[in-house]
Amino acid sequence: MKKINLFVLLILLAGTSIGIVFPGASFAQEAANAPGSLFYQANIYYQEGKYAEAIKSYQKILGMGWESGNLYYNLGNSYFKEGKLGLAALNYDRAKGFIPNDSDLRSNYDYVLQELNLEPRSFGNWFEKVVYALFAGITADMLAAMLFFVYILFITYLILSLFFSRLKIYSGLVTCVFIAVFALSAYALNKKINYRNSFAIVVSGKAEARFEPLENATVYFELGEGSRVEIVDKNENWYKVRRFDNKSGWVKKDFLDK
Amino acid sequence: MARIRNKFSLLKLLSLGLCVIYCALNLPRPCFAKEFSFEAAVDRNKVSLGSSLQLSLSFNNAQNIPAPELPAIDGFQSRYLGPSTMMSIVNGKVSGSITHNYLLLPVKIGVFKLGPFKVEYNGDKYTSNQVNLEVLESQSQIPAQPDNRAEPAMGDLSDRLFITIQVKKDKAYLNENVPLTIKLYVNRLGIKDIQYPELIHEEGLSIGTFDKPSQYQELYKGVKFDVIEFNTSVFGLRPGEFNLGPAHIKCNLIVRNQSKRRSAFGSADPFEADIFDNFFGRHETYPLDLKSQEASFRVLALPQENKPVDFSGALGNFSFEADAAPLEVKLGDPVTLKMIVSGEGNFNTVGVPKLKSEKGFKVYEPQVKQNANTKSFEQVIIPVSLEVKEIPALSFNFFDTLSGEYKTISRGPFTITIIKPDKEEETRIVEGKQLVAPSVTSREEKLGRDIIYIKDNPGRLKKRNEYLYNNKIFLGLQAVPLLFYLIIVLIYAKKRRLKTDLKYARGLLAPRKARAGILQAKKYLDKAEAGKFCDILFLTLQEYLGDRFHLSSKGITISIIDEHLRKEGVSEDILVKLREIFKECDIVRYASSQLSRENMQASLTKLEEVIDYLQRKKR
Repeated sequence: MKKINLFVLLILLAGTSIGIVFPGASFAQEAANAPGSLFYQANIYYQEGKYAEAIKSYQKILGMGWESGNLYYNLGNSYFKEGKLGLAALNYDRAKGFIPNDSDLRSNYDYVLQELNLEPRSFGNWFEKVVYALFAGITADMLAAMLFFVYILFITYLILSLFFSRLKIYSGLVTCVFIAVFALSAYALNKKINYRNSFAIVVSGKAEARFEPLENATVYFELGEGSRVEIVDKNENWYKVRRFDNKSGWVKKDFLDK
Repeated sequence: MARIRNKFSLLKLLSLGLCVIYCALNLPRPCFAKEFSFEAAVDRNKVSLGSSLQLSLSFNNAQNIPAPELPAIDGFQSRYLGPSTMMSIVNGKVSGSITHNYLLLPVKIGVFKLGPFKVEYNGDKYTSNQVNLEVLESQSQIPAQPDNRAEPAMGDLSDRLFITIQVKKDKAYLNENVPLTIKLYVNRLGIKDIQYPELIHEEGLSIGTFDKPSQYQELYKGVKFDVIEFNTSVFGLRPGEFNLGPAHIKCNLIVRNQSKRRSAFGSADPFEADIFDNFFGRHETYPLDLKSQEASFRVLALPQENKPVDFSGALGNFSFEADAAPLEVKLGDPVTLKMIVSGEGNFNTVGVPKLKSEKGFKVYEPQVKQNANTKSFEQVIIPVSLEVKEIPALSFNFFDTLSGEYKTISRGPFTITIIKPDKEEETRIVEGKQLVAPSVTSREEKLGRDIIYIKDNPGRLKKRNEYLYNNKIFLGLQAVPLLFYLIIVLIYAKKRRLKTDLKYARGLLAPRKARAGILQAKKYLDKAEAGKFCDILFLTLQEYLGDRFHLSSKGITISIIDEHLRKEGVSEDILVKLREIFKECDIVRYASSQLSRENMQASLTKLEEVIDYLQRKKR
């Protein structure tokens, strides 16, 4: 009986120890693979000058479905150090969607463009350029929150005007202002949402834009590494892109990244 | 003293008058261009017997020509309508014209040729063009007027509304600007909302933007048309044969719609026409998409023969002027080169003219200004050696599209005197030489540049593509303020109605008040106080009926309410109950008779039933 008890006790102990050891091991594994840990690990690689390793770690975080402005910024820096200026410009451009007012980001992005002999260009007609300039420092989330705030403010005004007749005097003007602010913000938000899908950056060498999506088609113009283009159409391995000056041509997909 | 002042003012007036007369005499007099022309035109080239048409004889660049007497025209009777004159001033040049108008009445059918007409003016004889005209037997053979139609048919209007496309040259060199004109011709039709043309063209051609359109009248195949002209330019991006067009112009045709007002027999009798049709003009618009013919355009490659080594691609017919100033400078001081390229051609292809040699000079990037027919460059050069004696010649080369040859125009060299600077200035120049820019930057600190270091924390990490605008909770939240607002509006509207709509308020309060009255009646029932019970019962019923039907409560009697309730469609059973309550109450209140407890209970029940019935009927 005693033997049986001892055996049971041993099994229980073993089970407990396995239970203790295994969760601990899996937790350690998870911690090492957590996006935060990977980020710090990537930073260490960067400090040690192992830029390729740093890029791998930063990309791993992106592969796990996480993103942030600082992550794209650091990835841009790593690509710059690796000499891949097009990819650096791409990641700085992505970072702008999260931390548009970051002075370090602006400085680095300007420097990369300068190194690539490019100038920051805005697309579209004068109205789109004005809207872009007005909302350049605001992220899509901030714009969505702002729209909600304007909406609540307008509803509050409508409720108050029911009880305070004085508020009704300027109701036409106030409504126009609210609608104008709302419409402008909504337009800007729409542009920001579409930006990541419809704009791309030349990431490798000089891309040749051709009249037709064919290898032997005549070259219309060339796009330098880091150039930003608008994607207007696609055809298998080709994108039809439009340049800031509205010239458009077909570029092979390999040259571009969004 | 006053006389002297008067004299002075008189002198002033006199001198002012003289000035006015002088100015009037020296005003530019109309100076007509010498190209006299004589044209004949009709307002339509198809007409039916019984209709009339207008013949216009126009004398351009002349104003005092008397009406020529028309010769007898076979198949027509003519009558002089009168003259109309026109004067226009373009770039200070005055031009005028006079048009003599005649009414022509056809007297037989057939195809006719009017003219050529002949006039004699200032001893010279002039002959007009010939106009073709067809006289048809009936109106139905002529394309219908859009004024009388419900819907226009483009086939019918094609000779009165159409567009043309004209390219000045059908072949041009690569990048050579060729003027392109699209004309919209309109003859006696109402057109509005005319949009800029859309031009379909093959890839390999570049079309410029259209200038502001011009409007004028033009004689086309003997018929006078209103013309709207759109101008732009086209140039080829690669050699080859291209199709240009068709050009599309979208516009709205104004049609006076009288079809609905016509009599059942389709009579077009003017006496049957509604005067308001004409007065208010029942106009309708129909969108039209006009289409031109295609034009062919051939783009030629530039010849390689005799092509200058530094050819920058300028195409056109240009002249080139250059100047340098000042020509006496201290060493290190700037000299400005002014270069102007003028002429006709594609100025976008005109690059900066080059110095034959830049030796001894620091050359800066030029400032460029481009106008319609000129492109100017201002370039700063700084002599960096005392050995410099002249600014080398500037040369500009281009491909002359008229002659099909490369041409080079050189200006200079310009003799220049370089003065040795003072000692202090010399030091400055030496410092300046070490850096890229001249003296201004010599004291500036040269700063290094590199990327800024990485961020030490990941910031706000979030799941990819998860934004506030696609968050379901956030989207759902959007409905909350709107619902809140709607609830507030409903409450506000109800309160406001209670305040302003007495009928509604009384109707709403009636059951509540009746409930209170019934409770009180129950108390008197329990105490078996028949008198008070009947009083409260009667009062409750009176007030309820008054509130319910918005009547004066005090004046309610069985006869009044009976009539009212019948109109409302209340059942006879309820009316009987009501009559019984009124009767019982009257007996107790005025005849001082007593009610048994059971009768009181029965009356109360009847009252409850009546109120319950009327409340349900309300809903």
